[in-house]
Amino acid sequence: MDYFLTDSQKIIKRLAKKISDEVISKVAGKYDKEGIFPRDILDLLAYTELTGVYIPKEYGGFGGGVLEMCLVVEELSRNCAGIAVSYAATALGAYPIMLYGTENQKKKYLPKIAKGEAIAAFALTEADAGSDVSSIKTVAEKDGDFYILNGNKHWITNGGEADIYVVFAVTDKSKGPRGISAFIVEKGYEGFYCGKKEDKMGIRASSTTELIFENCKVPKENLLGREGTGFIIAMKTFDRTRPGVAAMAIGIAQGAYEHALRYAKERIQFGQPLTSFQAIQHMLADMYINIEAARALLYSTCRMIDSGAKDYTKESSACKVFASDVAMKITIDAVQIMGGNGYVKDYPVEKMMRDAKVTQIFEGANQIQRNIIASEIVKEL
Amino acid sequence: MNILVCVKQIVDPDKIEYNSTTKTIKRSSQHLMNNPADLNALEFALRLKDIFPDSRVYTLSMGSLECKEKVKELIELGVDEAILLSDKRLAGSDASATSYALSCAIETLERFDLILCGDHSLDGETSIVPPQIAEYLGICHIASVVDIKPKDKDTLEIVKKVENILAKFEVKLPMLLSVKKDSNFVRFPKLSFMIRALSYEPKVLSLDDLRDIDVKRIGLEGSKTAVDDFEKEKMESISCKIYEQGSISEIECIAEVILKFI
Repeated sequence: MDYFLTDSQKIIKRLAKKISDEVISKVAGKYDKEGIFPRDILDLLAYTELTGVYIPKEYGGFGGGVLEMCLVVEELSRNCAGIAVSYAATALGAYPIMLYGTENQKKKYLPKIAKGEAIAAFALTEADAGSDVSSIKTVAEKDGDFYILNGNKHWITNGGEADIYVVFAVTDKSKGPRGISAFIVEKGYEGFYCGKKEDKMGIRASSTTELIFENCKVPKENLLGREGTGFIIAMKTFDRTRPGVAAMAIGIAQGAYEHALRYAKERIQFGQPLTSFQAIQHMLADMYINIEAARALLYSTCRMIDSGAKDYTKESSACKVFASDVAMKITIDAVQIMGGNGYVKDYPVEKMMRDAKVTQIFEGANQIQRNIIASEIVKEL
Repeated sequence: MNILVCVKQIVDPDKIEYNSTTKTIKRSSQHLMNNPADLNALEFALRLKDIFPDSRVYTLSMGSLECKEKVKELIELGVDEAILLSDKRLAGSDASATSYALSCAIETLERFDLILCGDHSLDGETSIVPPQIAEYLGICHIASVVDIKPKDKDTLEIVKKVENILAKFEVKLPMLLSVKKDSNFVRFPKLSFMIRALSYEPKVLSLDDLRDIDVKRIGLEGSKTAVDDFEKEKMESISCKIYEQGSISEIECIAEVILKFI
């Protein structure tokens, strides 16, 4: 389908596809098996200037928007979502600074992220605060020119690898969600440690770790926005980055579909290729329909956000839910079409099936997304 | 440092077709690609520019206007200026006529400190264009180069490979070097270069733009060689046999297969 991308968007997609097909496809299996963080691929993305596609020109980026970021994530995910998420998680860490940072904060951090000299991360989730964001326990107490952070964060993508972390902590316990604040924490700050690395089902090339704050001293100028605006910062950031999860899911689905289609054309059973059997034809047709539908919803949402719309919470959630459910279904079907070969690690679809699962879970589980969408549509009545 | 790289737009070897009347290769724009060894030569040029950022890297290609799109891909890699020598009178030029035309174009253009070429093109396989250009220009030439490093702006340390021998040279510029295919990893394009390539128009030269060219020495008429006939090589069909591990007799079978190739 022709999505009428601009010339520069087509270039971004072509460049990301080239990297994905010529480099990522060759290392995806090894990085997944051995849990290798894709530092070399991120360096290549930096060299090719794809690290800055979504960052404004005045801060050293290309000046694109959410759609440009999604085009990169989608193409990288066609071959390895684990590698793609290491790129996407930097965007998740960069957006709060782009949206709520002071001029000094933007000038200090965004050019480094745009040039790929710094990797970013977003640290909100805790062991007892996943979907229930407002119950985070990490605290930040003001002490002169510093905030002192104490607490633990869990399941933080790019944990240990990132140079810049946007960390959420409670500054006023009595105010509930309005008592949460966001801080920029740099790797190497006193009292900031990286904890256990998770042994995950999928996206194994990415680093997911615990973060530990023990009397971590954060300069007061690293407060993002005002005290108490952390919850809003997190939610507004997610509105812009959930399309990134949708893009990852669509990339995974597209990759699985391409492998299954090629396999079905080549695999001969009962003297005919699998594609001659209607049972398989319908599965492939459904894959195509769902991928295009998910992509159309994603690109429309991105264009809505990039054109300056004020409220796009339900659209952002909808594309994330739809695309991730599509990715899960399609990767399961791809394994089914490929049978025994789909189930073994010689072919990449079993990895894609494992990778797809997380898109239904992170950046807000799909159940929470449906709550958000329902709340928005009921409110609009 | 002014560096010129000669880059040929060839037909993808997997899709090559011959015109049986003219005995030449059919050049359809949809199957064109930049000759791989020439891209290895270009990579060395760009590495020199990385070290000496005030250097300028030019490319020179010869072919129909359909080559423009492939020439623009060179801009995506970081080339400063791409030149296409295109003239219907050049059609059918053999390696000798091509070398002559290219050397006339080079003499018309700026003065270059270094000229780089791939050591052969996948569609022609003559390997004689680089030494002939050097001969026409009256500069030294070294073939089969696999590494180029600068000692200073006028001196290069180069490595050439012949069979399994690596020979090291220190050479003074100007110089023409022809580079072996796969001697380096060709870089990826950069987004900003790709954006530049979007609106970039390669500089197109016709024969009328070249100084002192003798048109009798180019094209089909001016060529010293002519192809008599084409014949597609008959490839022996390869069959695959799977041997189970462990049995002596099967190992003997494998040894027999290997012995056939020794």
